[in-house]
Amino acid sequence: MMDTQWETYEVFHQSKRGEAHVHVGSVHAPDPEMALQLARDQFARRLKCVSLWVVRTKDITATDYQNESFFAQVTDKSYRDPKAFEAPDKNSPHES
Amino acid sequence: MSLEISPHIPRQPLLRFILSLADDELVLGHRDSEWTGHAPILEEDIALANIAQDEIGHSLVWFTLYEELTGHSPDSMAFERSWREFTCSRFVSYPIGDFAYTVVRQYLFDAAEQVRLRMLSESKSDALNEIAGKLEREEAYHLLHSQGLVERLGDATEESHRHMQAALDQAFPQALGLFESLEGEEELVRGGIFPGNRLLRDEWLEHVVPVLNEASLRPPVQRQRERWGIACRPDEGGRRGEHVKPLEKLVGDMQMVYTLAPSAKW
Repeated sequence: MMDTQWETYEVFHQSKRGEAHVHVGSVHAPDPEMALQLARDQFARRLKCVSLWVVRTKDITATDYQNESFFAQVTDKSYRDPKAFEAPDKNSPHES
Repeated sequence: MSLEISPHIPRQPLLRFILSLADDELVLGHRDSEWTGHAPILEEDIALANIAQDEIGHSLVWFTLYEELTGHSPDSMAFERSWREFTCSRFVSYPIGDFAYTVVRQYLFDAAEQVRLRMLSESKSDALNEIAGKLEREEAYHLLHSQGLVERLGDATEESHRHMQAALDQAFPQALGLFESLEGEEELVRGGIFPGNRLLRDEWLEHVVPVLNEASLRPPVQRQRERWGIACRPDEGGRRGEHVKPLEKLVGDMQMVYTLAPSAKW
């Protein structure tokens, strides 16, 4: 059967200027402009929002879950981990 | 809100005007809410639910102004009046039909509302100015949404075009009922409160006809020099309480819970 669904767009939501856009979900839409409008209705009506991005899902290039070796660490590289000090998280609401 | 409505503005026509706006918003908002759980795609379902909430919110703004002028509460106006006392246009009373009809009706309504709110933002009444400024921001997004769907569905496929043209054939004469003149309206025009439904209709036509034509949709109009002439019979009567039957059922549904326990506090 022919797929009659509109294509999907991934939605990224920014709650404050300067913060990162965070992926919040996806919407079906016929084109990017409608995707923004529908994303506004789904994701920006209750959450405080200053900016939305939409990206065609098919335009995202992703890794394959099957291909675990892509992320494999063969030798011990723990000396690279910044474990000796605490890095403040600038996006955390509980800034130290 | 400043209620500087000067004493030489005739009270009854002003109240009639405010009430017609409140009733249109309430009834169309209720119709939109009937799509909840039934829209063709989830995103539109949620969008329509949002629009329904907005329209009912707008009706509350008008009903609140009405209350300040008359003492009748918004609840009493929405839940204690007989359907025959409503002053909404017939246009908003008709059942939701199919999705094409819903889209076309919402577009024709949103466009009229935007033109009207722009006119009211130049009204001599501060109260109407203030409300128009507030509602216009939200209405602009309704129009963006409904106009966006009209532009896309009007000529997307042969089938979508057929549905949209059929919906327009049905909705257009009904939509003209939005501009039915109100008793005493000319006094509001003289007082600089509102330029009148005739002018509103002409400006609305200037707005909607090109958009519809661009979407390959043909409304029953003919160009006559400076303005669009209407080639169909407007479906009027609602403003005078001459309603169509579907409104009785809608108002009955809306008032059902309230009438079970009118004194209950929510």
